[in-house]
Amino acid sequence: MIEFLQFSAEQLPELLKGVPVTLSLWIIAIVLGFFLGLALAWARVYGNRFWYALSTAYIELFRGTPMLVQMFFIYLGLPQLGIVFDAFTSAVIAITLNSAAYQAEYFRGSVLSVPQGQLVAARACGMTQWQAIRYVVLPQALRRVLPQWSNEAIIELKFTSIAYTIGVVEITARASDIGSRTLEFFQIFLLAGVIYLVLTSSVASFLGWVERRYYVPGVTHV
Amino acid sequence: MADTPVLRADAIHKRYADNEVLKGISLTLARGETKVLIGPSGSGKSTFLRCLNHLTKPDRGTIELDGVEISDANIDRMRARIGFVFQDFNLFSHLSVLDNVSICPIRVKRQARDEAIRRAREELERVGLGDKADAYPAELSGGQQQRVSIARALAMDPTLMLFDEPTSALDPELTGEVVKVMQRLADDGMTMLVVSHEMGFARQAADEIVFMEGGHIVEQGPPETLFSQPAQDRTRAFLNVIAEHG
Amino acid sequence: MNIYDVILRDFPFLLKGLGIAVILLAALLALGFVIGLTICLLQLYGPRTRFVQWPLKAYERVFRGVPIIIMLFIFYYGLAGVFDISSFAAAILALGFRSGAYQSQIFRSAFQSVPAGQMTAARAHGMSLAQAIRWILFPQAIRHAIGPWTNEFSSEIKETSLAYVIGVVELTRQAHYIITSTQGNTLTVFAVVALLYFIVNKAGNSGLYWLEARLAVPGFEKRQ
Repeated sequence: MIEFLQFSAEQLPELLKGVPVTLSLWIIAIVLGFFLGLALAWARVYGNRFWYALSTAYIELFRGTPMLVQMFFIYLGLPQLGIVFDAFTSAVIAITLNSAAYQAEYFRGSVLSVPQGQLVAARACGMTQWQAIRYVVLPQALRRVLPQWSNEAIIELKFTSIAYTIGVVEITARASDIGSRTLEFFQIFLLAGVIYLVLTSSVASFLGWVERRYYVPGVTHV
Repeated sequence: MADTPVLRADAIHKRYADNEVLKGISLTLARGETKVLIGPSGSGKSTFLRCLNHLTKPDRGTIELDGVEISDANIDRMRARIGFVFQDFNLFSHLSVLDNVSICPIRVKRQARDEAIRRAREELERVGLGDKADAYPAELSGGQQQRVSIARALAMDPTLMLFDEPTSALDPELTGEVVKVMQRLADDGMTMLVVSHEMGFARQAADEIVFMEGGHIVEQGPPETLFSQPAQDRTRAFLNVIAEHG
Repeated sequence: MNIYDVILRDFPFLLKGLGIAVILLAALLALGFVIGLTICLLQLYGPRTRFVQWPLKAYERVFRGVPIIIMLFIFYYGLAGVFDISSFAAAILALGFRSGAYQSQIFRSAFQSVPAGQMTAARAHGMSLAQAIRWILFPQAIRHAIGPWTNEFSSEIKETSLAYVIGVVELTRQAHYIITSTQGNTLTVFAVVALLYFIVNKAGNSGLYWLEARLAVPGFEKRQ
């Protein structure tokens, strides 16, 4: 135990350098995934047959295949077509595309759970379809979706570690490097695990706070 | 043995935090006797009934079934001999009607499967639901569900049957079929303790009416005297309310 | 040699990798099932003391809060130092223990969605706690659990690909071998691999939907 603490104290600064990379990868990807997810959900709920089919196929494809394969496809496969991204960008793209598919399904569920009468009532007071969705349906749907969305965001935070496999120098890659140098693989990955645990717990508490902050009686449960 | 009561409850006490629900209830039931517990809501009737088979654990007091005291050690065996009918039926939702009636004999009494099934069919005939053996609870009306739950209790060969407001979750037009089954049970000599406001049943089937209020037994006696000449003002007041609304 | 010939030639290797992935999946789900059910039963019906409940809570927190890759490395390097253990066994343990933390939550909400009266009625007719759980609660809970469990199945088939990082020769690593040995068409190889995962996932889901429909009795129809 003491040995582990000593080792941790020595290696922690080096390992922590990976945290900003992990976090920026995560934040960029879930924010982009949020907008893409909204668009996909929109296509599935309000779109015509073409947009519905396209969005459904996209969601099925990205939910049905591993993110690791998606990342390899983008980073190792696309250059063959002359499309070259650096490792970080490839990882952002893969996590964004993957996360969007999941976020879309949660958005769709929550939009559908807003009672139909809300949209009708909004149209009845003269709002356009777009206004009704923007000012009435969406604010309710986003509140309802928050708990599931938080879960999804945390899952993606953990999935950023997959970027290590294509050489993005985030926490896991740093841990692996330190492991190769010191040959203390077990200890360094244990320490990396602790860092991830702190990150995921902090994010969970923060999103829990957001949920309570935007709580509206009757729309959301706390 | 002949004069050992089937049930003897002695000085049952139960309190929830500051609320003393049962303040020393004693009651006996002789073999073949039917007693009906009445009283305003919150008087402790249901709690008392649940204390009798330890679904709610009494704080103090003793309960004997055929002269044997109920304890933590023998509770499952004792419960197997006490039929219990719930207000909201509580049929096992994943089992067909036939399996609902046979599962406890098979699992608890280790009865042979064929024997338990044969017996279950008999009990279903007895409550008039022989043709519903393969239905699931969700497919039955409330009255039918309650009759199945009576059959489920009977299939265990109970020494004593407890009924906890068996008709109060039913629409008025469905109470009749359940009351009829209970009435016939009483006539057949089953020992029964019933919490109910079905005055028709109480008048016809009960050997004795027990009126409870505020955690005490206020008064008890045969239906003819208790209903026509109650000794206590509180009993009279309660009966008036029932007569107006029930 | 054109890429389709390569894929045709190396397809047996991909299938072998797929076989390893499926065995890994079955083993980790089985392990997770046992762990998840045990945790759930201890949480709902076990001793309420903090001595028992706190470690269960901590177990869930840790296994749900740490990325799979990190867990795979921890198990691989942690156990390899003590036992003579293959990367395959390490992957089963890491993924199975982790799945247990997720399955415990699936089972917990399934058991909680069985109305309290079912337990009361079972106990009132003389069933012991264990009998009531076995014969009354479990059969109902499993019907509630099968939908969410299908999602867990889908997550895990994809997560078997991560066993790649500790050297398990499953589908993704076989794909890598083929690519390095042929310096060939990565795009097509990964597309084929993605398709294989997709098919197994769909097949598994259909099987579970079929099971759900078969187990459905009136009152337990699929909701929504």
